[in-house]
Amino acid sequence: MSPVRTFFPVLFSVVAAIVISGCTQSNQDAFYRSGIIYCSESNPINFNPQLDTSGTTSDASSHQIYGRLLDFNPDTGRIEASLASSWMVSDNGLSYEFQLRKGVAFHTTDYFSPTRTFNADDVIFSIDRWRLPSHPYHNVSGGRYAYFESLGIADNIQEVTRINSYRVRITLINRDSSFLANLATDFSVILSEEYAKQLMEKGIPERIDHYPIGTGPFKFQSYRKDHYIRYKRHEDFWRDVPLSERLIYDITPKSSLRLAKLITGECDAIAFPGQTEVEVIRQRDQLELAEKPGLNIGFWAFNTQKKPFDNPDVRRALAFAIDKNTLLEAVYFDSAVRAKTLLPTASWAHQRDADDTAYNPVLARKLLNDAGVPEGFRMTIWAMPVERAYNPNAAKMAELMQRYLADVGIRAEIVTYDWTTFRRHLREGLHDSVLIGWSADSGDPDNFYRPLLSCGAIPSGTNRAMWCNRKYDQLINAALKTEDIEQRKQIYQQVNSLLYEQLPLVPLAHAFRYQAHNASLSGMTINPYGGINFSGVEKKL
Amino acid sequence: MINALSRYTILFTLTLLVLAVLSFALIYLFPGDPLTNLTGLVPQNDIQREALIRQFKLDQSYPIQFYHYLQQLFLGNWGYSFISGQPLREEIGIAMPATFELSTYAMVMALLIGVPVGCYAGLKSYTVSDYAINTASIFSYSFPVFWLALIFIMLFSLEAGIAPLSGRISLLFEIPNVTGFILIDILLAKNINHGLALIDAARHLVLPTMAIGLISTAAMIRITRRSVIDVMNSPFITAARSRGLSNRQIFMRHILRNALLAILPLMAIQVTTLITNAMIVETLFSWPGIGNWLINAINQRDYPALRIGVLAVSTMVITLTVLIDILNRLIDPSREKFERGTI
Amino acid sequence: MAQFSLYQEEFHPSPWQKTWREFRSSHIASLGLMILIFFLIFAIFAPLLAPYDPLQQNVNALFIPPSWNVNGTISHLFGTDALGRDLFSRIVYGCRVTLGSSILLVLLAMIVGVAIGTIAGMLQGVRSSVVNHLFDALMAIPTLLIAIVIVAILGTGLVNSMWAITLALTPQFVHHTRSLVRTEMKKEYVLASKLDGANHFQLFFYSILPNMIEMLVVQGTIALSIAVIDVSALGFLNLGARPPLPELGAMLADGMEVAYAAPWTVALPGLTIFLIVLAINIVGDGLRSALRKRLTQ
Repeated sequence: MSPVRTFFPVLFSVVAAIVISGCTQSNQDAFYRSGIIYCSESNPINFNPQLDTSGTTSDASSHQIYGRLLDFNPDTGRIEASLASSWMVSDNGLSYEFQLRKGVAFHTTDYFSPTRTFNADDVIFSIDRWRLPSHPYHNVSGGRYAYFESLGIADNIQEVTRINSYRVRITLINRDSSFLANLATDFSVILSEEYAKQLMEKGIPERIDHYPIGTGPFKFQSYRKDHYIRYKRHEDFWRDVPLSERLIYDITPKSSLRLAKLITGECDAIAFPGQTEVEVIRQRDQLELAEKPGLNIGFWAFNTQKKPFDNPDVRRALAFAIDKNTLLEAVYFDSAVRAKTLLPTASWAHQRDADDTAYNPVLARKLLNDAGVPEGFRMTIWAMPVERAYNPNAAKMAELMQRYLADVGIRAEIVTYDWTTFRRHLREGLHDSVLIGWSADSGDPDNFYRPLLSCGAIPSGTNRAMWCNRKYDQLINAALKTEDIEQRKQIYQQVNSLLYEQLPLVPLAHAFRYQAHNASLSGMTINPYGGINFSGVEKKL
Repeated sequence: MINALSRYTILFTLTLLVLAVLSFALIYLFPGDPLTNLTGLVPQNDIQREALIRQFKLDQSYPIQFYHYLQQLFLGNWGYSFISGQPLREEIGIAMPATFELSTYAMVMALLIGVPVGCYAGLKSYTVSDYAINTASIFSYSFPVFWLALIFIMLFSLEAGIAPLSGRISLLFEIPNVTGFILIDILLAKNINHGLALIDAARHLVLPTMAIGLISTAAMIRITRRSVIDVMNSPFITAARSRGLSNRQIFMRHILRNALLAILPLMAIQVTTLITNAMIVETLFSWPGIGNWLINAINQRDYPALRIGVLAVSTMVITLTVLIDILNRLIDPSREKFERGTI
Repeated sequence: MAQFSLYQEEFHPSPWQKTWREFRSSHIASLGLMILIFFLIFAIFAPLLAPYDPLQQNVNALFIPPSWNVNGTISHLFGTDALGRDLFSRIVYGCRVTLGSSILLVLLAMIVGVAIGTIAGMLQGVRSSVVNHLFDALMAIPTLLIAIVIVAILGTGLVNSMWAITLALTPQFVHHTRSLVRTEMKKEYVLASKLDGANHFQLFFYSILPNMIEMLVVQGTIALSIAVIDVSALGFLNLGARPPLPELGAMLADGMEVAYAAPWTVALPGLTIFLIVLAINIVGDGLRSALRKRLTQ
């Protein structure tokens, strides 16, 4: 096509359209008000948070597309009713009965029209999918349910029984004081059993995770990798909250670009503003910044299945070689607190007087020498490519650590890939050490200790240290057997000192959580117990 | 003429064949499993793997593999993206026109501004205004495009708030992809406010087009100026002047035509620069074009996508170059073959 | 003491001297040359000129603005970046990496290009014509694509990106050498040498090469400005030099992450690239017009 021949008609029609069309100001405002654009940081892997612990996937699906039996109250952190209108726990703590809400509609989209509302079958299907390896849907989309595997919940459920259409009973094998909290996390979403059955009949079951159907406030419309995800308002959403007509995720991996778009008004809200950018946001009147201490931990994990990192003394030496305070200053810009253990200060089991490694390169050198690690030893530091609250700039942190390690005679090489590739390689255990972290989904301490370091969490890929210690597992299991807070605290203190001895990972920081949005958005809140939620958010110009 | 055309056709086919061979070689040169590099599919087990190998003739000799590869290319079976799982032909079909559109506008800008200004500077050569134009063009020509784009973003988007900085149109508009050219797609789309959408798209176009266009315009000015000066120094202009033709007549009838003839072949080399710049600028403006797509693919080590993407872009560039070449040949058959001059 | 000369001696400047005089008579061109020499000095004497180690991090000095800013200090002329590295030192070393590698790869491309071009120009025939045409067509493939392929095969790194750019620049030298050799071969002085019994090598080194130098210098400046832009563009796109290596384009990309807190980390490396390219272009322009003036005289 000749450029001239294309250009002139187009130019002409642009001019004509501007002149002719009666696009009045109010007309225009109404249009731009009709949708919320959120600049997210990365591509979701799919639209089913059961399958993936990455915050990107659950942000894009959990609170937008799906509902859960229970929810956390964002202010108090207490568990409250959601799709289950009420529940009962038996005296022995092994049996849970849920009364389900009636008249909750699933999404009607161009790929699915529901004939019935939400009922017990959906609950049983959703739980059995990750619980039973024999379930026809279990192996669809890879068959890995990282969150549930890492916490060992699947093995602890004896059965899920249907009492009637709106009543379900779940029986456990062992007591689990964090069970209800786990049902309220971003990962315990309710899928549509009717949709699943239809897809199975058509022979395309894997579509369930890519063209999702749920009961949440927004229904999925389309997704283009590296560009956008579109959602539409779910007209029959059961909760009575204002909903924007459209919701769009503009996938923008660069944090500086996200802020730029927030300033120009191309985004209404952005994910993970960079720590250096927080000041810029505070200074601008039309932007708002919300800040809360987060339930997270950023750490440096060693691959304990590789030599010489299987030796606790080597790990300890490396921990002594770095200056955490400097890292905190340079990477988090004082928007984080130094981490001594896995648990953030906001958790009830946080231990203030826990032991911590101090910066001591002389000791580090000595330990390395004793362990027989040669001068000039090469190792890799994997730096995750995305910003997370717990580590806003892993690459920069890795560069700083490179210097510290050079001082003790270790040559560190920084490795990074695209996020999806990065996590695939991590699961394969190709790393020597990795800078990564964990954002908790409930305030329960078990939500930190179990997925991060238990033996069961190695295959599910949340145990980045690939560390398996029998005593550790025994302790954290024992902590779940009791409801007594003081007793649990005591056990977790023992766990902390065990971790200090073994150091499979070096805890670095508990960061504040930031969320920035345009002042024209009302109803945006930070939920410390999970991903972002756009129900109740409205745009006013 | 027919002789020349057939020579071009043979040459063009041969070049494309070389490109196809190179892209076929990439299957084996890229790290990882050749099967995955070719198809973008990861076999789940050995049986599936065997079947795929047989299906794609990877168990045969290289010439047969290549023949099969060519066949698949023509049939449009370009394999799947390793990361998104989408058919590559579809993805390229969306990304390529976006780049082409951006480059086209930048080229039009370069022609509309560059040629007249260049002519003016050439006619007034070695005067103050010529020096001014020449200096301005050498400055603009020296900008690294990515830095220029960043400056534009800083000035026009963040400070002045005149133009948006990312994408082709506000995502609130849902424009179905028909031709891949956003302005045309808007006109074809239904159920939207066309005026609003067109203004929005035009505002998105401004900055990237200017960033690429400025550099191409500068190059165009320099080419045109040089060419006009060369023509003005030729004997036939002196002859025309001595016959008493007015300046206007000389310019319209002799200088312009001859100068433009000389510019055409030089545009071929500009096409490469233009498309490279477009691809770089895309990554800054999140323009959903082929450059952005390729950079994402390399960051994600999406080898099947890289193989096809590189083949597609080089085919496009070479096609454009050869077309300009043929055009040049049609207009000016006396030229033995096209020359690449200096700017 | 100057010798007294009785007769008005006729002085014939060599062609190079003529060109040089023309070049010097243009103030802009001389200024460009001075700037270029300035950057070359930066590149060569980087270790002596840089006040700090370009990789030395200093956590106590993050984001210090340049010295002309109110909050700047004189000890960091251009301020510091997100890791507290001295920006001036990084830019001085950046000139070395970016400009130095560009010069190297242009020289390499020149040698290879001249060798191939000469062979192609001296050997006539159908075979060379087909190969030449093919070469011409492939010359249109953008450097960026070649770089992407090389990076995918060999991984990222400054050296790999240099290979890509060399590969992309070589055809231009081949092309120009070939057409120059062809036209020269038809000239009478070459015929004379041939009749004197000169072989191909002698023909090339004594007859053609001296006439080629001008073309090579002009083409070299063009190639150099392209090379600087390409090296930094690939660095900017994370396809070339990897951090912490102080390559100007990679520094710019690095600075983009903190563009709000420290705009100078974007502005200054970019400005440096711009000035280097500008100086090269001005020198190249000046050289070309000087040559042109000499020829028309």
